[in-house]
Amino acid sequence: MSDNSSGKENWKKGVEKLLKGDKAESLNRQSPEGFEIQALYDSEDVSNRNVDPGYPGEFPFTRGPYSSMYTQRPWTIRQYAGFSTAEESNKFYRQALEKGQKGLSVAFDLATHRGYDSDHPRVVGDVGKAGVAIDSVEDMKILFDGIPLDKMSVSMTMNGAVIPIMAAYIVAAEEQGVSTEQLSGTIQNDILKEFMVRNTYIYPPQESMRLVSDIIEYTSEKMPRFNSISISGYHMQEAGADSALELAFTLADGLEYVKTAVESGLDVDAFAPRLSFFFAIGMNFLMEVSKLRAARTLWAELMKEHFEPKNQKSLMLRTHCQTSGWSLTAQDPLNNVVRTTIEAMAAVLGGTQSLHTNSYDEAISLPTETSSRIARNTQTIIQEETDITHTVDPLGGSYAIESMTHDLKEKAKTIINEVMEMGGMAKAIEEGYPKQKIEEAAAIKQAGIDKGDITIVGVNKYVNEKEDPVDILDIDNTGVRDGQVDLIDEIKAKRDKVATKEALLAITEAARSGEGNILDLAVEATRKRATVGEISTALEQAWGRHTATNQTIKGVYESVYKSDKGYQEIKSKIDAFSEEEGRRPRILVVKMGQDGHDRGAKVVATAFADMGFDVDVGPLFSTPDEAAKQAIENDVHVIGVSTLAAGHKTLIPDLVKILKKEEAGDIIIVAGGVIPVQDYDFLYEAGVSAIFGPGTNIPKAASKVIDEIRAQKA
Amino acid sequence: MTIDELAKGVQEGKRRHLAKAITLVESNREADQQTAQELISKVRSSKETIRVGISGVPGVGKSTFIEALGNLLIEEGLKVAVLAVDPSSPATGGSILGDKTRMETLSSKDEAFIRPSPTSGTLGGVAKRTRESMMLCEAAGYDVILVETVGVGQSEFEVASMVDCFLVLMLPGAGDSLQGIKRGIMEIIDILVINKADGDQEKMAKNAVTEYQNAFHLLTPKYDGIGVEFLTVSSIKKKRIDEAWEKIQGFISALKEKGIFEAQRKEQELNWFKRLVEDEVLRRLWGSETNKEKAAELVEQIKKGEITPVKAAYDFLSSEISR
Repeated sequence: MSDNSSGKENWKKGVEKLLKGDKAESLNRQSPEGFEIQALYDSEDVSNRNVDPGYPGEFPFTRGPYSSMYTQRPWTIRQYAGFSTAEESNKFYRQALEKGQKGLSVAFDLATHRGYDSDHPRVVGDVGKAGVAIDSVEDMKILFDGIPLDKMSVSMTMNGAVIPIMAAYIVAAEEQGVSTEQLSGTIQNDILKEFMVRNTYIYPPQESMRLVSDIIEYTSEKMPRFNSISISGYHMQEAGADSALELAFTLADGLEYVKTAVESGLDVDAFAPRLSFFFAIGMNFLMEVSKLRAARTLWAELMKEHFEPKNQKSLMLRTHCQTSGWSLTAQDPLNNVVRTTIEAMAAVLGGTQSLHTNSYDEAISLPTETSSRIARNTQTIIQEETDITHTVDPLGGSYAIESMTHDLKEKAKTIINEVMEMGGMAKAIEEGYPKQKIEEAAAIKQAGIDKGDITIVGVNKYVNEKEDPVDILDIDNTGVRDGQVDLIDEIKAKRDKVATKEALLAITEAARSGEGNILDLAVEATRKRATVGEISTALEQAWGRHTATNQTIKGVYESVYKSDKGYQEIKSKIDAFSEEEGRRPRILVVKMGQDGHDRGAKVVATAFADMGFDVDVGPLFSTPDEAAKQAIENDVHVIGVSTLAAGHKTLIPDLVKILKKEEAGDIIIVAGGVIPVQDYDFLYEAGVSAIFGPGTNIPKAASKVIDEIRAQKA
Repeated sequence: MTIDELAKGVQEGKRRHLAKAITLVESNREADQQTAQELISKVRSSKETIRVGISGVPGVGKSTFIEALGNLLIEEGLKVAVLAVDPSSPATGGSILGDKTRMETLSSKDEAFIRPSPTSGTLGGVAKRTRESMMLCEAAGYDVILVETVGVGQSEFEVASMVDCFLVLMLPGAGDSLQGIKRGIMEIIDILVINKADGDQEKMAKNAVTEYQNAFHLLTPKYDGIGVEFLTVSSIKKKRIDEAWEKIQGFISALKEKGIFEAQRKEQELNWFKRLVEDEVLRRLWGSETNKEKAAELVEQIKKGEITPVKAAYDFLSSEISR
């Protein structure tokens, strides 16, 4: 060891010579997670941390949940997909399965997520966009037509309308001749994170937890091969969380679910082996590898400490991963292939059980056939052309990885302890604590990017001056909706009305009384051809729809940016405007439709307020009517529409029309978010003054907005 | 839009016009201020209205309460305007106004008009523009005006001085909040509502009522023969919101029966007049360059001990008061 320390001293001297006098420690960096990333790690760092990663397949599973890992069978390539109608999605799935994909992962449209049938007036712009429209078991049967559900593992991203969707899946299988015992796959069923970040909830938190627990109960009895929940950090990272926050809040969510199920009378070993996890993998390569290793270690320790399971499998964290959608850029989009590859490598070297790789065009629109193929091949190439799968946990024992795994785990543990002190994750969410933490992290990161401290190639550095347009997939939203509405009408005309009604009443009754298993009753109602929307409404009648208290933060963006000259210039520009106008420029930041991803809207709101705008924040899930009413009452200069789910071509023209009708045509509309360049002209034509794509520099956008308001007044 | 068009639109209850009119009274430009006065003199309300101030500390559930109460009033066939005053927003820079996200169903209703206002740098402060906005809403046909304010600083007193009924929301857990309640505030409360009385907190809320009743017992009543009303509600579960409305109505009828209602509104106007004059005199006094110079001179002399403060004051006023 003495050799080692003199070795380190020599290294330091070498570095300091190269740095021409600066200390070697000056090369260490502060990670966003709040610990130091050393320029060099050595054996001493590992021994000081008391790290012994042990063996794969053994407690605490740092090196992998299974002993053979990819040397025996590689991870499952599970691409998340779904769009338009069940028929179209079915066709797409079958092709993908032929081309080497191993499991299915269904993306539902936002109307379905929020428990609305396609004929509901609130979802006009959402049907068939960003996922497949499923209104009833008939749609589900078409979706899995020719796909044997006893053999295919199916993952479903569903949280809000989890009951009718699970029921439709079960009944679709039943009518295929497949029993519940044979079904394998995963239902996301992670409602807690919806209240934090993704916002596709329907019912209030407490009632929603009842559904989670009913599903865990049902699956533990009848679906032994099915993962009852996928505890997701993915959306937290997408919303801005750093790795420590993502890890801590996800595991804390997990503990809350286990607690709820145990309190409802289940034995921990009856369901804990069927819990699964879901993490995002971003561009911080070493940190992300460490995150998955830390996640397994910490979960095993926490489960052992809190619930003392007898079955080793109850301690094992198994996870799905997806490459980061947020890291993708609309600018120079082929760069995204490279980003996704690096992220996929991190997921694999971290030891994931299944993986989705994003398509390069996802920052612009829905993936096309070409982009989907390349995304899938990113994984087959790693699996079959490289030697990465030949060795279990090949990075295990690396000084850096082992040290970072340990440091990240410790950091997450501190956050989890804070959450525990607040009374657990459900309480913490009620108080808005995790949401605020994540939004702060997002605002800090955005300021870092706008300022140029954080590099994003093609966006704030090495910008490609001449962009070639990318082919995109456009969904005929109105056409899909019409077809869905016809099918709903047909089902409703053919079914036994009295039987359906009785089955739905039984659901409402069970929701009110707290008795019975709601999934059980929903399966019965689905057999009677009750629709997704009807089953959701039956629950809503007992519980109501949840409205979020929307907290906003202020000052965080400015705290990073203050010293910047350009930032001060825009502030003065806004002050000058306020002086002339007699009031500050006022903007309504609004999300229309059923899309709940509000990171962009939140970051823009907080940054604009810091720069001197008066910012009105609209409720989530607004209709164009509601947005117009609010804009008019608050007499804003401008409406900023944040859109990520492709509803803009329906919703924005509607908004323009309503404003004109109300004699408020002078209110300017700007749009931001995921909008394909191909749609720009359509939107300008419809009356949009400016469009800000992903990667827009926010102070520049603010300046542009002021110019537009002035132009309107002139 | 001309001033006559604007006035006509407000009087016809047009949302766009009402909103523009409020912008005008909120404007910091002196020219707009004059136009605003002209506008206000052109409009008037033709029906009986009720003005309710609603206050409470952050987190007590004001918005949720207003959402529940507002929806109830609309069900009864009334039109509701909500003016949200937030004195806690910073003096410089912009602000984030998220009230409507907390009044989601109410804000989408045709019979409701909700206007949150930033406070930064308004001439005449919170009170002036809220008072005038309130009058505009009444002219536009709104029956009940709810003025929401955060229970910090001076704003409660300002709001109380412009409404018929001042309602304060409190959290269950009386012991703690009793200490938090400022002495002066107790004297302006007409109705005290304990919110979040649901589930485990129901009993705690009831105990709180008893404690508050005892505490208020010691106070001289605000009006002869009309005591402070207490009740518990759960805004989120929409429990006993109807009772809250009954209490408000009961309180208003009592004021009317005793002939206090109109008298109070008149008195508020007179006080308002006096306040405006005083504010304006002070503004002009300290705003004039010659006065500033003169005052600065005298301050220097006082510092050096060359003149007594009293003599300085006389000198200053005798030279300026005649102007």
